[in-house]
Amino acid sequence: MFIAMKPHATEAEFQAVVAKVRSLGLTPHPISGAERRVVAVIGNVAAVDPDDFAVLPGVAEALRVSQPFKLVSREVKDEDTVIDVGGEKVGGERVAVIAGPCSVESERQILETAEAVKKAGASYLRGGAYKPRTSPYEFQGLREEGLKLLALARERTGLKVVTEVMSTETVPLVAQYADVLQVGARNMQNYPLLERLGEVKKPVMLKRGLSATIREWLMAAEYIVSKGNPDVMLCERGIRTFEPMTRNTLDINAIPVVKSLTHLPVIVDPSHGIGLRKHVPAVARAAIAAGADGIMVEVHPQPEKALSDGHQSLTFPEFEELMRQARVIGQAIGRPLR
Amino acid sequence: MLVVMKPHASQAEVDAVVAKIRSLGLVPHAIPGAQRVAIGITGNKGALDPALFEGLPGVRDAIRVSQPFKLVSREVKEEDTVIDVGGATIGGPRIAVMAGPCSVESEPQLLEAAQAVKRAGATFLRGGAYKPRTSPYEFQGLAEEGLKLLALARERTGLKIVTEAMDAETLPLVAEYADVVQIGARNMQNYSLLKRLGEIDKPILLKRGPSATVREWLMAAEYVVAHGNVRVALCERGIRTFETGTRNTLDLNAVPLLKSLTHLPVIVDPSHGVGLRAFVPAMARAGVAAGADGLIVEVHPHPEEALSDGQQSLTPLEFGGLMEQVRVIAGAIGRPL
Repeated sequence: MFIAMKPHATEAEFQAVVAKVRSLGLTPHPISGAERRVVAVIGNVAAVDPDDFAVLPGVAEALRVSQPFKLVSREVKDEDTVIDVGGEKVGGERVAVIAGPCSVESERQILETAEAVKKAGASYLRGGAYKPRTSPYEFQGLREEGLKLLALARERTGLKVVTEVMSTETVPLVAQYADVLQVGARNMQNYPLLERLGEVKKPVMLKRGLSATIREWLMAAEYIVSKGNPDVMLCERGIRTFEPMTRNTLDINAIPVVKSLTHLPVIVDPSHGIGLRKHVPAVARAAIAAGADGIMVEVHPQPEKALSDGHQSLTFPEFEELMRQARVIGQAIGRPLR
Repeated sequence: MLVVMKPHASQAEVDAVVAKIRSLGLVPHAIPGAQRVAIGITGNKGALDPALFEGLPGVRDAIRVSQPFKLVSREVKEEDTVIDVGGATIGGPRIAVMAGPCSVESEPQLLEAAQAVKRAGATFLRGGAYKPRTSPYEFQGLAEEGLKLLALARERTGLKIVTEAMDAETLPLVAEYADVVQIGARNMQNYSLLKRLGEIDKPILLKRGPSATVREWLMAAEYVVAHGNVRVALCERGIRTFETGTRNTLDLNAVPLLKSLTHLPVIVDPSHGVGLRAFVPAMARAGVAAGADGLIVEVHPHPEEALSDGQQSLTPLEFGGLMEQVRVIAGAIGRPL
């Protein structure tokens, strides 16, 4: 259930609503929007009559939320969530561009890439220090050493750092270095990790599981938000289908569908979504045209020598060309890139 | 195998190559191109020796085609195929827009839809007279009566007609009325029908099967071309996945992938691809941005009263909005509508 306050409701009226929710043994989640304040009510609301709240002073309306996801739903918050990442916005008018290597491999590799993607117009640097590789025998990432290199790259370029956290144990360490904590596709339903991220004061990027439905994905986001962290962005990165020619099938349908169901920003990862370098720009264009709030692209100084994902990583000139094409589409639909 | 002739090879030299191919019991296929004359060879079991042709006068090269699809492959024909449909084109820089109701239901319904989509800028009218419905109890289409109404709409508006043929028996009748014969997703691997399509003189719009891989789809197109009809356009209309929030999953990865593998035009059907009216314009924009050569969109004067696919059909007003948005994207990437 959610209770929307009238635009000029007083603080006392708002607190009275919160107190009444608590008195019924339920949990209030205050949500502040530009237009109005809302209290989302979580718990067993089946026995509660919304009319009991609708009559309180300062209350505009009280309604049950029909979706199983509540706090992330557009029913509860109509306006888009804009996440402030140290001054850089995700989810506003501007299309956010996140770029960098799959893995942090060396100081030289990450600094060179950071400078190149910054020059081409990216605002965020991606790079994995903890890598969930399919094979236990493959490069697993530089761990804390990688995080330090990312921090160094941030210092040099001003780019915000997006990096993956794989386990609850490493959350404090990764959160200390990262500007955005990425949850990888394989961890989308790692509920202890999601709950832990609800307590962190850093934005989270939640990638879609390889075979997760949109509803499961939004429920995973609800885990994080319901534990107290409202700064969640979603990342579509392709789903598992029967098609063998592409690494995944980028589900572009999901962009407008998710945008209609939730107020959270939606980022698209065309690199994993198709998995073939030469086709990454075309699907990046499609994603922006479909309404994505950002793109995340793998870029490497020498893709053929990359320790992971070389076949889908762009060279610097290829990334510059992608940015040129992405700008044209962004411009056309009134969503500029930097 | 592909035999590529020298730029100034004479007709007699080309004829000699064709005769040599026939003498080996193989089938020659002329591959039209602005830059060069080439002859595709099918019917061989196992690899052919390029030396069989390389020594012949006027021959520049004999190349093995690595893909299992040959005549539709970019290896065989580098330049894009542009299909001429009585003055309108599919392929080439201009984005082809096909729109209309799922099914032809009545004269007023079809004429109203035709006039509306024409006004908004479509050049092709879609509409099914033979309908492959999942349930045998649902509306199956007006059959020949529907074809006649499509012809009437063409006469009134000048739009070209795209309509589905479901079987070999009705194919001649459908081909008589249609400007483009559509093969529905469920028939993508109906090989006896595909072979018959090779023999008709109308362009084919081949929809992707709901669970067909890109390779299977191109092999289906190869059937049509190998049997003599080179005017084939492919239509991505969404694939079957585990996602239940949308009718299908529109596979836009397939657009750049196909454009690199084949010279045939690629059309995108956002209506079936997402299956929900509110999201059709976004997916149409995405299709064009990904590089599609055209769109096929379901439009109905009164979607809530439609006998089929009402939930994914746009009103004429919504279609006008879609066209505006698509024009902006097409303009941005240098492709007029």
